[in-house]
Amino acid sequence: MMIHVKNLVKRYGDLVALDHLSLDIKEGEIFGLLGPNGSGKSTAINCILSLLSYDKGEVEIFGKKMTPDAYAIKRNIGIVMQNVAVFDELTVYENINYFCGLYVRDKAEQKQLVEEAIAFVELEDFRKFYPKKLSGGLLRRLNIACGIAHKPKLIFLDEPTVAVDPQSRNKILEGIEKLNAQGATIVYTSHYMEEVEQICSRIVILDKGRVIASGTKEELKAMITLGEKITVETFSIEEAQLCQLRALPGVVSVDKIDKRLIIKSGKGTNNLESVLNFLKNNQIGFGRIYSELPTLNDVFLEITGKQLRD
Amino acid sequence: MFAHVFRYRFKCLIRDKQLVFWTLLFPILLATFFYLAFMNLNDDETFHPIDAAVVVSGHNQYDAPFKSALNSVSKGKKRLFNMKAASNQEEAAEWLKQGKIDGYYTSGKTIKLTVKESGFNQSIMTTFADQYRSSNSAVMQIASDHPEALQNGLLNDVGNRQNYVKEISGGSAEPNNILNYFYSLIAMACLYGSFWGMKEVSDIQANITDRAARVNMAPVHKLKAFIAGSSAALVILYTEILILLTYLRLGLNISFGPRTGYVLLTALVGSVLGLSFGAFISALIKKGGGLKVAILMVVTMVGSFLSGMMFLDMKYIIAEYLPPLVWLNPVNLLTDAFYALYYYDSLNRYALNVGAMLLFIVLFSAATYLIVRRRKYASL
Repeated sequence: MMIHVKNLVKRYGDLVALDHLSLDIKEGEIFGLLGPNGSGKSTAINCILSLLSYDKGEVEIFGKKMTPDAYAIKRNIGIVMQNVAVFDELTVYENINYFCGLYVRDKAEQKQLVEEAIAFVELEDFRKFYPKKLSGGLLRRLNIACGIAHKPKLIFLDEPTVAVDPQSRNKILEGIEKLNAQGATIVYTSHYMEEVEQICSRIVILDKGRVIASGTKEELKAMITLGEKITVETFSIEEAQLCQLRALPGVVSVDKIDKRLIIKSGKGTNNLESVLNFLKNNQIGFGRIYSELPTLNDVFLEITGKQLRD
Repeated sequence: MFAHVFRYRFKCLIRDKQLVFWTLLFPILLATFFYLAFMNLNDDETFHPIDAAVVVSGHNQYDAPFKSALNSVSKGKKRLFNMKAASNQEEAAEWLKQGKIDGYYTSGKTIKLTVKESGFNQSIMTTFADQYRSSNSAVMQIASDHPEALQNGLLNDVGNRQNYVKEISGGSAEPNNILNYFYSLIAMACLYGSFWGMKEVSDIQANITDRAARVNMAPVHKLKAFIAGSSAALVILYTEILILLTYLRLGLNISFGPRTGYVLLTALVGSVLGLSFGAFISALIKKGGGLKVAILMVVTMVGSFLSGMMFLDMKYIIAEYLPPLVWLNPVNLLTDAFYALYYYDSLNRYALNVGAMLLFIVLFSAATYLIVRRRKYASL
């Protein structure tokens, strides 16, 4: 086990930020910590890394108790902070070299690792640039390079794609998968469910400091009653027709939101054809119609009654 | 590891243009303004010989003793007059009109002084003429009443001025109030070094910056990293202070007395004091950087004001009415250490000032250590 967390409790006065959080993260995983803002993701990481004190619980990394001066453990950990944590007065190369040098003492090895990190985040053309001259996406890549240059076995990435353009986001996600393929275990926090769905092999959903669900994305989706979501763009439908739709076999709910009709069906049902037939038979005009499988947001919604991004 | 952290912290600090401006260029600019403003004051206090002339009457019994008296005060470096002999009244009047002289004497039975306007130099000329007349009259009176007294060296006694109050100087140096302005400016520059100390603590405390959190996650002893960074800051600050001292000494000709070694030591102690003060305030105050900067700025500027940087008498007012503040104001301790080195032969007063500064350094450093050594934070 790479990380073992048991009954972690962290309080800020009356607010319980982590409520008996327990996690087990295996070697080679990309482990996702998913939850809305303020759910306790960053607090959990900071407690696991011994940056934050906690009120109760146990944290083990690489099978050993994690403490602030557990240097042998720290040597194999990389961290990419939520906010860009680099020095404005140092160039791209110097920033990476500085942080890498805190882990690796051999100068030749250090130099090689820095070059590899620069190549990994594709900042070769910017090595002499100061951070203030970099765009948001490039800055995020520099932030990642500073955290992973020393080739750690375990990497924590705390919302590394916040405020990043789609192109840079894809590059970052590809990079994370590449790091994992090279052998690193990844702990990834985000409130973007698409990212977590895309790259994580196992996911824990947090809300108010508590684990509300965990498993692979398939296991999580299997936990809920929703099997299919059909969206119809329509201009006019009468209340009586909505009732008829609700009566279709397997339909769980029908909601009209603006000009969209959202029809949710339970597991094992495929209602697209019957919905199409219903619209045709009742001569209800419609624009687009599409069917979706449930997302992690639906999982979160069904369990907590609120949207993931509320 | 020390070398690695030192090297990169040095780069980070030296490239901070704003800090370099406030800790090096600003004191140099201020020193230049002080120099331009105060050097005239010093010049005004220096006595310049008075340009004067004498017109003789042609009666040797009157002219000879007066000319002799004038000659005796018109020689050497500390002469009273730059005396010229005019051939006649008209020539002297012309010189006076042209402003070549401040006044002229006309010798004779009665000494006459002609001036164009009243002023400091004219008052001196009047006083000299009055003294001559008084002495001359005394000698004539004695010669007429007791001629035998002249045989007993009375003439010498009349000419001599006996001081009954002995002036004892505190040191071998000339008293110079202007110097205090420059010494307090150096002290201010040292205390501006507190910004370097603040930056060092900010970059090592995980609850202050994300960079610091990242450093805290590295397998490096936090205090060792802090000491390496602080050493880089000290090297930069001390170099800046040395540049300032060199500019003051060689560029503006400000005297620090003959004890160069002690001056350098004082600058070093001042630099450490500034750094430790900034580190202490930064570690103590959890709020944003703006508040810390404001506190450091206010303490430094108020301290400089109270030590006489803007108004010299303030230093003496504080010493008279609020004596504890003399010892509680680090800027004053540093200013006074420099002045004690310049003015006093004895090192007692200097040692007291340096001792008090060292005490402050120990207190600030110990408090900073107790705060910074914390290994986990309650909140980030």
